[in-house]
Amino acid sequence: MKLIKKFILIAGCFSALATGCTKNYAELNENPNGVAVAVPERLLNPALYDVVQRNINRSHRINNELMQVFVQRSNYIEIQRYIVRPSESDYMWNNWYLQKTNFADMYSLAKANVAVVASQSKAYMAIANILDVWVSSLLTDTYGDVPYSEANLGKTDNILTPKFDAQKDIYQDLFRKLEESNTLLTGLASSQLLTTQQKGLDALYGSAASPTAELELWRKFGNSLYLRLLMRVSAKSDAIANGKTPVVKINEVVTNPTLYPIFTSNAESAILRLTGLTYPLRSPFAGFTTTDYNSAGSLGEFFVNTLKEYGDPRLALWATRYDNDYVGIPSGYQVGQIPPARSTLNPALILEPLLGNIMNYAELQFILAEAALKGYIPGTPKTYYDLGVKAGIEHWGLTMSSTYLTSDAIAYQSAGSQDQQMEQIMAQKYFTLFYTDFEQWFEYRRTGFPTLLPGTGLANGGKMPSRLYYPVLVQSLNRAHYQEAIANQGPDDLNSKVWWQTQ
Amino acid sequence: MYKNFTKLLVIRIPLVLAFICFFALNTAFAQKITIKKNQVSLEEVFKELRKKSGYNILYNAEMLKGTGLISVNLAGASLQESMKAVLEGKQLDFKIVEKNIIISKRTATPASQKQQRFTVTGTVTDDRKAPFQGVSVSVKNSTVAVLTDKSGNYKIDVPTAEAILIYSYIGFVRKEVKVSRSAVVNITLELEDTKLNEVVVTALGIKREEKALGYSITTVKGEDLTNAISNNWTDALSGKVAGLNLLRSNGGPAASNRIILRGENSLSGGTEALIVLDGVVISSSSGRVTGNGSAYLGEDSPTDYGSAINDINPADIESVSVLKGPGATALYGARGAGGAIIITTKLADPKVKGIGVTFNSNASFESVSRWPDYQNEYGQGAGGADYYSYGNSVDGLSTRSTSAAFGPKFDGQEYFQFDPNTLTTGTSRTPWVAYPDNKKDFFEVGRTLTNSLSLEGGTKSTSARLGYTNVNNSWIIPNTGYERNTVSLSVTQKVTPKLQITAKATYTNKFSDNLPAMGYNNQTIMYWMVRQVPNADLSWFQPYWLPGQEGLVQNRPFVSVVDNPYLITNEMLNKDNRNTVTGNVQATYSFTENLSLLVRTSLDLGYDARSQQRPKDTQNYNEGMYRTQNIFNQEINSDFLLNYKKNFSKFSTSFSFGGSALKNTYNKDEIRAETLFAPGIYNFANSMDVPLSFVTKSKFGVSGLYGLASIGYNDFLYLDLTGRKDWSSTLVTGTSKVKGFFYPSANLSAVLSDKFTLPSYFSLLKLRASYAEVGSGGTTPYLTSYIYDSETTFPSGLSNPSAIANPGLRPERSRSLEFGTDIRFFNGRLGADIAVYQNNTSDQILKVPIDRSSGYSYSILNSGEVRNKGLEVALSGTPIKHNRGGFNWNINATFTMNRNKILSLADSVETLILQTGPGSRGTIEARVGGSMGDLYGLGYLRSPDGQIVYENGYPVKTQTSRLLANVYPKWKGSIGNEFRYRQFRLNVLVDAQFGAKAYSHTHSLNATLGKLTSTLPGRYNGIIGDGVILNADGSYRKNDVIATDISTYYTEHFTIDNVEANLFKTDFIKLREARFDYTFAPKFVKKLKLQAASLGVYGRDLFIISNWPSFDPEFGTVNNGLIQSGFEISQFPATRTIGVNLNVRF
Repeated sequence: MKLIKKFILIAGCFSALATGCTKNYAELNENPNGVAVAVPERLLNPALYDVVQRNINRSHRINNELMQVFVQRSNYIEIQRYIVRPSESDYMWNNWYLQKTNFADMYSLAKANVAVVASQSKAYMAIANILDVWVSSLLTDTYGDVPYSEANLGKTDNILTPKFDAQKDIYQDLFRKLEESNTLLTGLASSQLLTTQQKGLDALYGSAASPTAELELWRKFGNSLYLRLLMRVSAKSDAIANGKTPVVKINEVVTNPTLYPIFTSNAESAILRLTGLTYPLRSPFAGFTTTDYNSAGSLGEFFVNTLKEYGDPRLALWATRYDNDYVGIPSGYQVGQIPPARSTLNPALILEPLLGNIMNYAELQFILAEAALKGYIPGTPKTYYDLGVKAGIEHWGLTMSSTYLTSDAIAYQSAGSQDQQMEQIMAQKYFTLFYTDFEQWFEYRRTGFPTLLPGTGLANGGKMPSRLYYPVLVQSLNRAHYQEAIANQGPDDLNSKVWWQTQ
Repeated sequence: MYKNFTKLLVIRIPLVLAFICFFALNTAFAQKITIKKNQVSLEEVFKELRKKSGYNILYNAEMLKGTGLISVNLAGASLQESMKAVLEGKQLDFKIVEKNIIISKRTATPASQKQQRFTVTGTVTDDRKAPFQGVSVSVKNSTVAVLTDKSGNYKIDVPTAEAILIYSYIGFVRKEVKVSRSAVVNITLELEDTKLNEVVVTALGIKREEKALGYSITTVKGEDLTNAISNNWTDALSGKVAGLNLLRSNGGPAASNRIILRGENSLSGGTEALIVLDGVVISSSSGRVTGNGSAYLGEDSPTDYGSAINDINPADIESVSVLKGPGATALYGARGAGGAIIITTKLADPKVKGIGVTFNSNASFESVSRWPDYQNEYGQGAGGADYYSYGNSVDGLSTRSTSAAFGPKFDGQEYFQFDPNTLTTGTSRTPWVAYPDNKKDFFEVGRTLTNSLSLEGGTKSTSARLGYTNVNNSWIIPNTGYERNTVSLSVTQKVTPKLQITAKATYTNKFSDNLPAMGYNNQTIMYWMVRQVPNADLSWFQPYWLPGQEGLVQNRPFVSVVDNPYLITNEMLNKDNRNTVTGNVQATYSFTENLSLLVRTSLDLGYDARSQQRPKDTQNYNEGMYRTQNIFNQEINSDFLLNYKKNFSKFSTSFSFGGSALKNTYNKDEIRAETLFAPGIYNFANSMDVPLSFVTKSKFGVSGLYGLASIGYNDFLYLDLTGRKDWSSTLVTGTSKVKGFFYPSANLSAVLSDKFTLPSYFSLLKLRASYAEVGSGGTTPYLTSYIYDSETTFPSGLSNPSAIANPGLRPERSRSLEFGTDIRFFNGRLGADIAVYQNNTSDQILKVPIDRSSGYSYSILNSGEVRNKGLEVALSGTPIKHNRGGFNWNINATFTMNRNKILSLADSVETLILQTGPGSRGTIEARVGGSMGDLYGLGYLRSPDGQIVYENGYPVKTQTSRLLANVYPKWKGSIGNEFRYRQFRLNVLVDAQFGAKAYSHTHSLNATLGKLTSTLPGRYNGIIGDGVILNADGSYRKNDVIATDISTYYTEHFTIDNVEANLFKTDFIKLREARFDYTFAPKFVKKLKLQAASLGVYGRDLFIISNWPSFDPEFGTVNNGLIQSGFEISQFPATRTIGVNLNVRF
């Protein structure tokens, strides 16, 4: 018995010790690798950069192939032949949605005034909205119906399998957000502008002359984006743009520059200027060798020949010479008939800051040209076209010769049919959209321009893909909603049309 | 019997014989004995006498109690005289029989019994019916005892007619016979199967008798691990333990293994056995599997730096206990859910006199054993090319920029080809020939030299063992390998009779100038290899820089995206320098005979300095790169165990109460220079940009209290009850309190053969049952609260994390039920150990992949329940047995099967994606009702009767993912044979697995690039694929369209997207180990002044029978720090090892 008492005593002592050990456990489980509280300005640059660099990456891999900018000389990478495998889909879907979380979080942090100086709430809500709209539009324009209203609510609402929304509904909400952003950025008091420190953390417009100018540029970017997206759905007559049809809204935006300021010069373009080899805004191709960058491919015949025909000075910046000349290769060639290597992308583009283009002034001019052509807005398309062509060249730091706008290949043919004029506008827009996410492809799907050179070895019945597959993983991870989406939109293949493509 | 033992033999235990020591020595000496000793114990004198006389002295330690100290002064006395003198006045008698002196207690026989006594005589024979000399024959419950003589005869006086005689001899089964008035009793003694009475190491290092255990445990002895040494000693567990599965990274010389017991049950893919080295849990600290980077086209390729588990020196291992189920590991609590591997290293043998020196030298040679079936009939070229031209020439446009081998046939013609002298197009045509060895010759013969030396010795109160091992390896890929030095020391000190202190420490340094990068990526050798074309001579790659542009432009004769292999091995280096210290200090204090306390602190400390360097002009790092990681890890665990033992009549009981507290720390500091200024200088001063830093820190703690009660009844029925309560820091949030969780276990063992009279061919029948629960808070901290990740490259940068934290995380729990039996027949000549189990794991803490549209990549959940059911059988047999150096044949076989089912998942998820294939092609998913390891992916579009549908001659693929296979084998088995004859021994182990499939990315590439003989049909007249065509009316007809483009034909079939077409069976039969050794004859050894010496030759993985199209069906893919199965991505070649081993003891 004495022994047992001794036993219990000793055991008791040690038990007390053991429980004492757990006292600091709450502290031990505090993650030292991050911080618990964020402010919007800290989230901005990493998220913005991530989207831009991924857009460049896939613009290079997918858009450039589909749009005959570049042609892989390989039997296996067949995007130029309109074979876009389901495995191509994950990259954009996965990364766009992750960054949308950061933009949505910026918005809610600002709105809730959590840890942010209350006076800057409006500015950050607007900035977050604009970027969220931009990424959401990329998602829906790439895949069609996608999760939107229930998306990015994994943490706040525990929604792990969000439902897919109809593209129309998504657009309606994108327009609402842009309208809201424009309002938020209107008439800000000086106390509501970003502080010097905050301005320093804005890689897009932080270099503006003043805090007022900075937010004015964001506002112009938001409204210019508004026009890009309105134009994309302009064939639709639904009253989705804040109660108006897209066409009416285009008119309203363009004719009220005070209420809806838009880009007025190249200097105002939304470009995340990359910094080549150095961080943080490192060029996504910075690690690539010259051969690597061009992998096994050459520039497309359409791309090279059109620029040559135009006498476009950008050709020298974008292409290498082959045999002292610029020569492209056919896109969509037959399997096994790999064309020999010719001109490639200029390796200088590897470190080119301008690849970080999000939306530029020239693109806006071509949107306006089209709007004028179609009578959505007053004015002549030529005015906007000429501004666009000039801006497109100057955007690349080049000077347009004085005779350029009157040269045969360039001079705007106001007398041409609407299709001819569209062709002219859209061909110029195509070059302006060089390396801008999937915009060339989106615009081609909308307008059918520019007129590409169909190869003889095209797959997919020779039809340009209308969308990309949903990622295969979505079939597993969000099965029920995926099934719903394809029931609404059509089979999950390359040829199902997204809403704005349908009649 | 056993007289030839050159070494002092101590056989511990059988409770009954617990205090009997048995000494044997083969040397005979003169009878004149001289001993002078003052105030020494009787035992001491006996030892001296034994030494001087060469006689064995048999006594019961119990008898010597209270005999006190004596002084002896013998000078040239005879043995008889000496013994008399020594035992004078001690109430002890002695008897000299042959070479034995038997000590017995002197008793006064009561006069009343004297009248009844009568004499029994008889003969004792051994298991081979030969006369058995020296057998002790005693009367039960008395001290009367005699020994049998040369002819096995004995004569004993028994007190009553009802007396029971006991016949015993060490190593033989004790027999009790009732005399029942018969005056003649002839007896045959059977060899004892010592295994059951063996003491085995169980959870927390508690030593137990195997027969008292209610769960399955397998012990592998140290010498079985050194039969056929490989770079990772855990390879040697393969085929020796039923229910054990090794997943090998196959990732070079430092390759890691994942040890899985009883099948995958963790949805997180982390079902690994706990690795405990001398009480130190090393699996979560220095034993972490390493190798970050994605196996498929990441920015970074994984390098397997190995772990501290690999670095354990097998020569230092005394034994390895494999505790398979929660029943066995319940006391480990949290981390024992996946079973445990308990490694006990050697302590000095306290009986060794002077210094015992053992030297072991091992040389092994490793070479590639298996190759894909490469074709060497057609050269480089895209589909159908009818000419070849390296660069543009008069023959046509250049065809050099492809890795495909669908070009022209090697037909004796000549083309303009690469000129190795000018490193560009040749000026004249050269013969168009294949270089069939242009991949094989790249690999060298790997060489590993292992030398180890151990010293051991001690005094009465102190013993120590010091071991040193040096390993020097160069691997099959040129310029890869490592060097390892290990020093281990163990010391035991009896401070007082009540206090014993033991300390063990091992210091290891592992150093490598280059370890190979794995996976499919420009910087890996296997990436180059799959692209090597048949018409390229390997020597063309030898100059890896262009002349005059060293350090700036590499020589890439063919496709420009593929790095030169010699540049990879000579300049793209992955270095490692790891220092680890593992050890413990423990003190045992015995308050009384029954109550003792053990206090122990153990430490696992590692510091790993790694670096990666890439020169300029490499595919992923055009401007070069230099990175370093300094990794610090430490786990400190302190525990105590209070033990109280007491026997009450027929009950033997033992109660233990213990507690432990551990703290684990992991820090990784990484610095990167992503672009370098000058070529060839690898340090941060040469960084073009500001070097980037990435810091990861992680800490967790677990505290536990536990109790164990063992009750034995009548030496045949045993019950163990355990309970443990844990508190884990990983489940705590800032606001919630530390909540503990409790789990119990109960184990029952019944040795029926000790209780009931069974037919004589039964030598053992034991039944066991076990129920156990284990809870765990996991070992990943910080899952309970949401933080923003630091975006290190951006000033002030933050981002939302990819995982959603879960503040309400609960502990995981597994419940396991196990039944088993251990049956042995014919004196243990045939035995079977069978276990059946069911293990349900629920509430697993998972980082569940979710659809990114949720805004996150993962959610942290308590999810799902997985059930594993299985059967494990271990058979042992001795078909032929001769003692004393005759021919012996032993067989050991194992058989394992495991079936599992996913019973539920968390409500918020439809499926769990556990792994994805290369570029998300194919997934391994857990769906309710399915099994772990179910592989889903895209495949062929098939007609209703299952035929492949063709369109225009090419196969059509589905766009919906479907269940295609399961990647875990249905069963595994092994057979080991050991033959001994005199000093020769031959050991052969074969193992096999069946019933699983896996995806081969290597096959996909080889097939689509036309590298395999299977892609020869159809060149170049076209081919009609085996399948059907969909008619316009919806019916099918046999495919009748000729596919003319062969390159497209094979690409359409085997493209990496077609998961189904690249699935192959991973069934194999391997000749895993073979060893032939010779132990030098004692006479010869004596001449060399050695104690023992042996020489062996061995082989490992000598032959593989398998249909796997790449290298080794038994692969693991290192992907983002995990070793995964199911998707083989650019595995390294399988290797065969042949070695020589010399062992000498001084």
